[in-house]
Amino acid sequence: MTDVRAPEAGPSPAAGQDDRQAAPAGTGRPAGRAYGIADWLKWGWRQLTSMRIALVLLFLLALGTVPGSMLPQEGADPAGVQQYYTSHPALAPLLNHLGLFNVFAAPWFAAIYLLLFASLVGCVVPRTFRLAGSARTLPPRAPRHLTRLPHSAEYGTALPPDQAVEVAAAVLSGHGFRLRRCDAPADGWVSAEKGYLREVGNLLFHLALLGVLVSVALGGLFGYKTDRLLVQGDTFADTASALDEIHLGRLATDADLAPFTITLNHFSASYITSGSQRGQPLSYDAQISYTAHPGGPARTDNLEVNHPLSVDAAKVYLIGHGYAPVFRVTDARGQVVYDAPTPFIAASSGSSGNLLSEGVVKVPDAQPDQLGFSGVFVPTAIDVGGTLESAFPAADYPAVSLIAYAGNLGMDSGPPQSVYALDTAGMRRLTADPQSLLPGQSLKLPGGQGTITFTGYVPWVSLAITHDPGQVPALACGIAALGGLLLSFMVRRRRVFVRARPGGPGSTVQVGGLARTDASGGFEAEFASLAAELRSAHDRAVHAQHEEE
Amino acid sequence: MPVNLALGHVSNDFLIAAIVIYSLSVVAFAGDFAFGRPRRAETTVRVRQARARAAALATVGAASAAAGGGGSPPVTSPADEALGRVASGPAAGDSMPELAVPALRAIGQAGPWIRTAMTLAAVAVAAHLTAVITRGLAVHRAPWGNMYEFVTALTCVAAIFFLFVMIRYRAWALGVFVMGAVVITLGLAETVIYTAAGQLVPALQSYWLDIHVTAMTLATGIFFVAAVLGVVYLVEDRYARRVAAGRAAPGNGIMSRLPSIEQLDRLTYRTIVFGFPVWTFGVIAGAIWADQAWGRYWGWDPVETWAFITWVLYAAFLHARATAGFRGRRAHYIQLLGFASLMFNILVVQVFITGLHSYAGVS
Repeated sequence: MTDVRAPEAGPSPAAGQDDRQAAPAGTGRPAGRAYGIADWLKWGWRQLTSMRIALVLLFLLALGTVPGSMLPQEGADPAGVQQYYTSHPALAPLLNHLGLFNVFAAPWFAAIYLLLFASLVGCVVPRTFRLAGSARTLPPRAPRHLTRLPHSAEYGTALPPDQAVEVAAAVLSGHGFRLRRCDAPADGWVSAEKGYLREVGNLLFHLALLGVLVSVALGGLFGYKTDRLLVQGDTFADTASALDEIHLGRLATDADLAPFTITLNHFSASYITSGSQRGQPLSYDAQISYTAHPGGPARTDNLEVNHPLSVDAAKVYLIGHGYAPVFRVTDARGQVVYDAPTPFIAASSGSSGNLLSEGVVKVPDAQPDQLGFSGVFVPTAIDVGGTLESAFPAADYPAVSLIAYAGNLGMDSGPPQSVYALDTAGMRRLTADPQSLLPGQSLKLPGGQGTITFTGYVPWVSLAITHDPGQVPALACGIAALGGLLLSFMVRRRRVFVRARPGGPGSTVQVGGLARTDASGGFEAEFASLAAELRSAHDRAVHAQHEEE
Repeated sequence: MPVNLALGHVSNDFLIAAIVIYSLSVVAFAGDFAFGRPRRAETTVRVRQARARAAALATVGAASAAAGGGGSPPVTSPADEALGRVASGPAAGDSMPELAVPALRAIGQAGPWIRTAMTLAAVAVAAHLTAVITRGLAVHRAPWGNMYEFVTALTCVAAIFFLFVMIRYRAWALGVFVMGAVVITLGLAETVIYTAAGQLVPALQSYWLDIHVTAMTLATGIFFVAAVLGVVYLVEDRYARRVAAGRAAPGNGIMSRLPSIEQLDRLTYRTIVFGFPVWTFGVIAGAIWADQAWGRYWGWDPVETWAFITWVLYAAFLHARATAGFRGRRAHYIQLLGFASLMFNILVVQVFITGLHSYAGVS
């Protein structure tokens, strides 16, 4: 595609340079006679693949990602998006319309990076062909006046020109240079070039970036990410119905879920107990047993942060933990209608709340009225001005505080409910103030509605189960990109020319050199040592001749 | 393992000592500007270069004006094309003539102010490094687990790297800028974001802390030096343009002591070429760690997003240098923008924007 050039494009820069073609905006615009669609397409393509447009697209890419870090994103923080809607009711719908709550899936963001990658392809493909071409063609002829090159040296030798060139060629070839010899023997010169790996590295880097994009797409199409909250002692199977949340890739289905089961045998957390960091977690350890497929052998594992479980192409991560207070509820008839651990969720992220957790208990089987409780669990209870607060995240002195409701939970009608929220529209409040309970204590509901007993607590963990087929390709491409980058930065493409003309007792040797890429530095030193080596090789050759005589 | 508080105090004392000695070295570097011997041999070279520069700028200006202001045409001549395009032209040959003298003798010849400044800078770097190492020994891990430790470590990298650059390229005159920036950053770290030696949350207890954060610390330290060089470049560039326009007198005392604008440009480029792969590696290592800790290798967490923005901007700098119309001043604006995004990530995103990377420990 090197010959894709708009009509009337000014003098184009020579092919074979390292840069993209420098196409200043404005040149190459069809002008004068009428041009067809094809010409305009060619012109557009040429603009797109110019370095200038690539730079603009790079800027747009950087700029486009900024709102993704400043505004809550649906993928990472859906609650934050909800909150934004409540706090900015006028602005939020507008931002949503622009895709700013889901920047990295927004069409305009895709447009930027797809254009950038199109530009990259349009630049890299012709360069690959050019590199392949230059690997077959020889270095250019030596210029007439080597002293005009950035690096040059001149000295005399007793050797005749043809022999001097011969010796120089041997030295350069010994350093791995590709050589081009003079066509006519009267012209004493040799050209040498080295450092093709620079361009190889450059191309590898850019192609590897394309590979990263493809890998990400692969994960987005065939991968999945699911969440499951698991109370200590419980077991779940990795099926769609047993999971709390499922995000399937566009081409993934429920059937792709790995059919393993996991039991949480024991969870423990330890915390710093003194000093300024008191309450900061030190370690989490979830002891699980699992079977990779139904009927398979049971294995055990310790899930920790930074230590996921690999099972059947999926990975299981420990991403959160909390407390599930156990309640026993008897209704007005005296029947036990509820006796189970109920996961409560930490009210604030981080260690500031010391795992003060909120949750609800729904008792649909209670009669005559359904019962509901909203409450707070504190692992280490202290009384701060009448409110229950948590002094430490470990369950040293656990307590709950409950508000009781009776009436209709509304679970049979309307949209599906969250298990962590109580719809009190059809309920009446039974207790005026929150009632605190310690383990073993009970609360008698007024009007003979029943009793709730706080019998104890168990820990729970939240697990993330992910499968990403693009992961390994992405890593491979990342490493390839880094390798290509290092090659292109460390290898220098350089040319050395040697000319020998009759002069003095034998000939005058001129050595000239240039590095084709600026600022990589260090060529001065390499050239100086090469020139010195050439000179001593010539001296040695003269000595050898003398000895033969 | 519990924190060794006594050793933590030793680390703090060494850091305070380092700040004091750095400050003294900055005074000595500045003293060289004020009272040092003028470097005559260099000055004449400088005047010649300034003239050549002014002439070059004048022709470029005229050419781009002729092209209708729509970006300057490629500067490379057809002859250069034939030779395979040397962007920096014949000037590439006469770079850094000072390198003929060995480093220690060069410091000796640079006058008493530079001798004093370099000695103080070396002592300060040693104290700084000791502070970082003792902090690591006190907490039994890599000493870059929170913002304070990270800033302390990255300025140490910047100071060591710059000491190397200064000795390698005899760029004494830049000492006042880089060491000055180190002092200010360390002072802010000590007063604003100080965090006592402590243990890490489970998410950070991984050998990937040693790999990912070390790479990020190194790259940030290197980019720090490049940013200071870029600012000096822009100041010199502005001066050269004012001279060319006849609005400033050539031969300004301070300007004549600084490395030439071409040297600065090349030095900055080399610095960024060194830092960019390290940053790339750091991002990849971070992705591997994120996959291990959070179950995905890339999730556009705010800190990841800004690391990406920084990467894109430094990549833009590298491309800008190969694009007609973006070389020189504009390229430096881009790299400074890259450094600004890096600082924004460290000082604003990690502290004020909630994300998975909220480990700053700044309350």
